[in-house]
Amino acid sequence: MSAFTVSRTAGRARVGSARTSTPGKAAQERRQRRAAFWFLLPDSLGLLVFVVVPMILAVVLGFFRMDGLGSFEFIGLGNYARMAGDPQFWSSVRITLLYLIGVVPAIFVVGLALALLVQQRIPFVGAIRSALFVPYVISLVVVAMVWEFMLSERTGVVSRLLGALGMNDLAFLGEPSLALGTVVVITVWFQMGYYMVIFLAGLQDIPGEYYEAARIDGANAWQRFRTITLPLLRPTSFFVVVTATVSVITGGLDLVFVLTGGGPAGSTTLLIFYVYEQAFLFGELGYAAAIGSVLVVVLLAWSALMFAVTRGGRFDND
Amino acid sequence: MSSRQISRRDVLRLGAAASGSLGVAWATAGCAPSSGGGAGPLQFWQQYAPAPQQDPNLIAQSQWFLDATRRWADAGERPVDMVYIPAYTDPTNTRLTTAFASGDGPDVFLISPGDFLRYYNGGVLTDLTPYLTQEAIDDFYPDALATRTVDGKIYGLPMEQEPLAIFYDVPAFEEAGLAEGDLPTTWDEMLELGRRLTGGQRAGLVLDTTPSYYQNFTFYPWVWQGGGDVVDPDTQRPAIASDAGVQALGLFRDAVLSGASPRTLPAGGDLVGAFTNGYAAMWQTGVWQVEAMRQNAPDHPYGIFRLPAPAGGESVTVLGGWAWVVNNRGRDPESAARFTVEVMGSVSKASIDAAVQWNGVAKGNVPARRSVTEAIGNSGAFESPVLQQFRDEILPTGRGEPRYPPVIYKAVSNAIQNSMLGGADPRRQADTAQAAIESYLRTYEGGTLL
Repeated sequence: MSAFTVSRTAGRARVGSARTSTPGKAAQERRQRRAAFWFLLPDSLGLLVFVVVPMILAVVLGFFRMDGLGSFEFIGLGNYARMAGDPQFWSSVRITLLYLIGVVPAIFVVGLALALLVQQRIPFVGAIRSALFVPYVISLVVVAMVWEFMLSERTGVVSRLLGALGMNDLAFLGEPSLALGTVVVITVWFQMGYYMVIFLAGLQDIPGEYYEAARIDGANAWQRFRTITLPLLRPTSFFVVVTATVSVITGGLDLVFVLTGGGPAGSTTLLIFYVYEQAFLFGELGYAAAIGSVLVVVLLAWSALMFAVTRGGRFDND
Repeated sequence: MSSRQISRRDVLRLGAAASGSLGVAWATAGCAPSSGGGAGPLQFWQQYAPAPQQDPNLIAQSQWFLDATRRWADAGERPVDMVYIPAYTDPTNTRLTTAFASGDGPDVFLISPGDFLRYYNGGVLTDLTPYLTQEAIDDFYPDALATRTVDGKIYGLPMEQEPLAIFYDVPAFEEAGLAEGDLPTTWDEMLELGRRLTGGQRAGLVLDTTPSYYQNFTFYPWVWQGGGDVVDPDTQRPAIASDAGVQALGLFRDAVLSGASPRTLPAGGDLVGAFTNGYAAMWQTGVWQVEAMRQNAPDHPYGIFRLPAPAGGESVTVLGGWAWVVNNRGRDPESAARFTVEVMGSVSKASIDAAVQWNGVAKGNVPARRSVTEAIGNSGAFESPVLQQFRDEILPTGRGEPRYPPVIYKAVSNAIQNSMLGGADPRRQADTAQAAIESYLRTYEGGTLL
């Protein structure tokens, strides 16, 4: 008998022995599975009814022309063909990409920098952490209105400060070349506290011994950051990049809605704003659903790509 | 009495039973007649009543609506519930849209001309003509009724007319050494004055800057003043690329580029705040601001003047205003139509008195009916010289707000935004808008574009 056969036979014997020796264990497992099923059922039903079914309906709706007043017409891929030739759709895609490129790296850098700062033993660190997190818990509409007043042309506090420096008449929300950048800055300000907390949790998971060893070896702060902090933050970084991307692409509606209404001259018409406009302002529910479906597919593809490239944020030796 | 320990199995059974009960309740609720269907009072969605505010004027407006429904119910008719919708006047409010999309629209609701064709073309508006007498129809000002009429059938009854004018801040004019005789009558004079009054924290001339139906609404009269149009009402062909259209886009562009107008609205778009804080000197806006000034800054001196005209053109303004319409898929369209006509479109004394109360006391704006104008005279709110000026001088230059579908709105909006704030060539923008409208109208089927 070969070693392989012996091993497999032994294995079978072990399994058989386990089965025969603990007959109550299997029954217990079944009970636990049943319990898990019943505990999960309410949530699953909620997800099914309020997430899965609407998603399927939205995909189906994308194949119809629907005016929101009861008229349905099946048009196959008509909405998708319209999308391909719609310059405003492509313009909103371009603006969304610019917004994404502006916000995600900034959120990553600012969130990490703030986490590194509030990780230090400095006076009032608890108050500082809270202060930095507070914008995230304020309604985005309120955030937008406050910034709108602060940036108000001629009368806002920011304009007055800049006016004192000789930069008069800057219309942050009325100048197409400034508006999107302004929305990016406000978005980063609003979200930085949340990502600071995420990074802080990641930083606190890194064992202090690594830093002590590095110090003994003579590594300076930058070297410790580059060779210990950044690599060991890999799972956190993955989480931040994926969630920030999704939140930036699917969020921002309230902010743009209140701050600029998509203007000036369409310079802040994000894709999500365009979807909203088509659905609720123009009654083009089918077209809006088609754009929404494309958006979901793009986000799924992006997330899958990120998972594939970074192995879900796992370390190389996991 | 025996005591029994509750097992995990019992807990699970209890949980399952509770979930089942909730599910049944939910399913039953889903099947039951919703607020938009079945028996019970009719629903009237609007932005006035019952007023959640404490302001006496707003309470008076709310009370007007509540009184109207009480009178109707007292007469033994099917009761009507007033449903206050927050931010109803915001065209991006989704409440009405989603209600109709789910087949749960109100029985009676208010709409502005900009929304009219969307609902008419969607086939949800009730023809009110059979419920109206000819005398009542003739009592309405033609411009007030025109944009609510399709093929001679009336689908909405306006409760007011809201003309636009330029409001000016008297202290700002006095500081600049200006008097009433310096009020501009031409576009050039208006821009020149705007530049002169701009300085410090003050914007000289405020034109609306946010892309919206409202901005288009404020833009149309400038096109009409040069004899142009967005869509020719006679031929139903696009006309925005006419010289008048290009000229109007150029006016908005020049106003911003010359520094006469700001790129964003001062004081968050609040005229009262802007005037009382010295943030604006002139502002193109509507008659509803008279009420706002009366409520919030009764002692602040201000005036109005008609929209200046281009060289060789005539002053024309636009008339907005909300109208009552009836959902023909509601629970009882016939009853809802009779209610609407009784309150808004009857020549009965009660109907005229109600309109006098609305236009002359509670709201204080320009009536949509001649009999109401005559009954009010210069009493009540019309003791205000500004309201008298609106009625006597500005209203006659008015034309009803166009009822363009969303695609046309968007084409015009893009042209305005790109010219005004993007600094683009008005001719090119007008041509782009013209092409978009042309393309849309090739397949458009629906009510006449006015």
